[in-house]
Amino acid sequence: MPLSREAIAKGLQRIVGPDAVVTDERVLVESSVDNFRKLQNIFDVHTAPVPAAIVLPGSAEQVAEILCFAGENEVNVIPRTGGTATEGGLESVVPDSVIIDGSRMNAIVSVDPYNMQATCQCGVPLQALEDRARELGLTTGHSPQSKPVAHMGGLVATRSIGQFSTLYGGIEDMVVGLEAVFPGGEIARIKNVPRRAAGPDIRHVVIGNEGALCFITEVTVKLFPYFPENNVFLGWTLKDIKTGFEVLREVMVNGYKPSVARVYDPGDAGIHFSHFAAEDDCVLLFMAEGAPGIASATADGIAGIVAKHPECTQVPSEYIETWFNDLCWDASKITAEDERIRQTRNVNRTTEISADWSSINDIYQTAKARIIAEIPDITMMGGHSSHSYINGTNMYFNYFFNVVGVGPEEETEKYYLPIISIICEETLKRGGSIVHHHGMGKARAPWVKDEYGSSYYILETLKKSFDPNGIMNKGTIIPL
Amino acid sequence: MSSLRIAVGFKVTPDYEALRASDWVRAAKDGVDTRYVRRVLDTFDESALELALRLRDARAEQGLETGLMAFSVAGREADPFLKTLRALGYELAARVGPGVAPDETGRAGGVSNDAGLDFAPSATAALVAACARESGDDVLLLGCSNSPGDDGTIPFVVAEMLGRPCVTQVTEIEPAGDDGLRVTFAADDGLVRATMRAPCVLAVGNAVVSHLRVPTLSDRLAVRQAAIAELSATDLGVDVTAALGREPSALTGLALVDRSRAGVILGGATPAEKAHALYHEHLRAELEKL
Repeated sequence: MPLSREAIAKGLQRIVGPDAVVTDERVLVESSVDNFRKLQNIFDVHTAPVPAAIVLPGSAEQVAEILCFAGENEVNVIPRTGGTATEGGLESVVPDSVIIDGSRMNAIVSVDPYNMQATCQCGVPLQALEDRARELGLTTGHSPQSKPVAHMGGLVATRSIGQFSTLYGGIEDMVVGLEAVFPGGEIARIKNVPRRAAGPDIRHVVIGNEGALCFITEVTVKLFPYFPENNVFLGWTLKDIKTGFEVLREVMVNGYKPSVARVYDPGDAGIHFSHFAAEDDCVLLFMAEGAPGIASATADGIAGIVAKHPECTQVPSEYIETWFNDLCWDASKITAEDERIRQTRNVNRTTEISADWSSINDIYQTAKARIIAEIPDITMMGGHSSHSYINGTNMYFNYFFNVVGVGPEEETEKYYLPIISIICEETLKRGGSIVHHHGMGKARAPWVKDEYGSSYYILETLKKSFDPNGIMNKGTIIPL
Repeated sequence: MSSLRIAVGFKVTPDYEALRASDWVRAAKDGVDTRYVRRVLDTFDESALELALRLRDARAEQGLETGLMAFSVAGREADPFLKTLRALGYELAARVGPGVAPDETGRAGGVSNDAGLDFAPSATAALVAACARESGDDVLLLGCSNSPGDDGTIPFVVAEMLGRPCVTQVTEIEPAGDDGLRVTFAADDGLVRATMRAPCVLAVGNAVVSHLRVPTLSDRLAVRQAAIAELSATDLGVDVTAALGREPSALTGLALVDRSRAGVILGGATPAEKAHALYHEHLRAELEKL
């Protein structure tokens, strides 16, 4: 017999105290979704099952007790910290779920400049950690657009990546050690070492688990020296994005590590660079940073590569620096964008994939053409590559559409999911990954078996082993 | 049935929020270098453009025809916006050039502007009025001033030049019969609704809408070949140099205003602790004085 909502709340209150359990109906309704349903949020239309409570533990021990309680009573739990997820990972899909919110676990435990690492609890905002590091002349190197509002636990749980990843890597390259709590109440700490070969790297069981296997309570990340005074900005316009991909490839294959390396197609370039890019221009841009010798050598090397492509026309670096200074989303920008959407019913969505160099242009061209042809009311369809590797790159599809003739609750069915479907199909056909850094969530979970192929066995076994009762964020990564 | 012709004048401004601190100071001159930031629509002008579209739609529901025209006293930086307006159904979208070459930094005061008419409201008004006469519009919509260099007089000066009544701080415009308009505007003591007949000048303030709708790719494709009309001051019979000589004021310098605020971050690990700190450390003494 499932527990009633009231019994769930009472059980949680016995663990953490009444002040740490939220049962306000309005708050629960708003917490039933994440940015995947942003149009519904903006118009205050809520269709997801309402959680029974939000619980705010103060320690890993309390998290363990909560998970044991949930397991004993078959209550679905949704781990959350900053709440900036975009793929439905925080959405409740079954009635009476419990959101475990780690934002009260917000202590920066230590910052160690000698060993170049910092340890913090899951509810520490990345911006707060970055600010602390900057006081010491250091940086975390991690800068997703959500930096002002995202928290460390969620950033690790979603295997996030930042805008400077070409130099600093993704979160998986930054995590040294961590602590996580598993559904059976086990508190597991992975110690901080530079490297080890003591069996498989179990950090990767936790990094990217999206709350489907465990609850992350503490992370230790690397720190890097910070030399903003040496930043060098470079930009070019060009007509063919394929040339842009080729330049990015050459930069990566030749061993350069600019912190930013991007190529925008004309549609996406028009949003940011219409003051210097023509309507049919792509924009190729880089930022080199680091110690003076490194930054200048990186910039010179990149300039030398681009010089071999006479179809690229250089633009003043001030254009790129101005763009760079406006990269992140803060609360005021989010509010302004919500208001724009409310008034115009014109919605911006993104879907990011990755593929090898041979396939990326094909995926981009085919998916873009299909979306324009098959999806109604598109107002912009474009994208950019922003995370490159020696063996490939990502494609961040960026698109806008007017929501016409349907309510906010039907936007995903009429527009968003069909677009995701096209992108996933064209990516999978060419051996790419359907998700580069936003996480599977529930939005792309239907494609999980296609994404994994025969290796799905590993993922499925992990889930069955760590979460035998199926209480950890039902529907995320593996669909219901 | 007669068609109502609506003209909307709009301004394209640099995105001042995106300026780097170093752009506010230029060697050898006081000035703001806006070359490297994108251009955006002036807030009130954007409202005016969308209100005109909504008025057209509302009139269409009543079987009434409306013609829309948009123009900007601007250089080529206005072209993306003019193309968007064509895609949204503005029958005519025009760029009005002043015929005065801006100096390296723009007009006196050093504000960079392709048209060189920042801080020149009289000259701008002369061009706007001439453009309205040329278009044969019945109703001219302009935004209330919001941009640097605009002293708020343009709608009034234009109305005086055209010999038309002017209503300012307009928040909404609805049809009232074939050629009438129900205009809502903000007055000192609240909102006022009045019925007006063309011709008139309406200056849009804090309107019910502040964002322009977005055309689809199909809409844009349909007008892809449509040219942006270009009108010069000479075409319109305006002596801009003479108008510039009559400007009542000139910019002599600029200084960045420090808007940082003093603040204290409250201690405490929980909301209860923070509330305790707020009351006991900051509010209690002040409240006891009352």
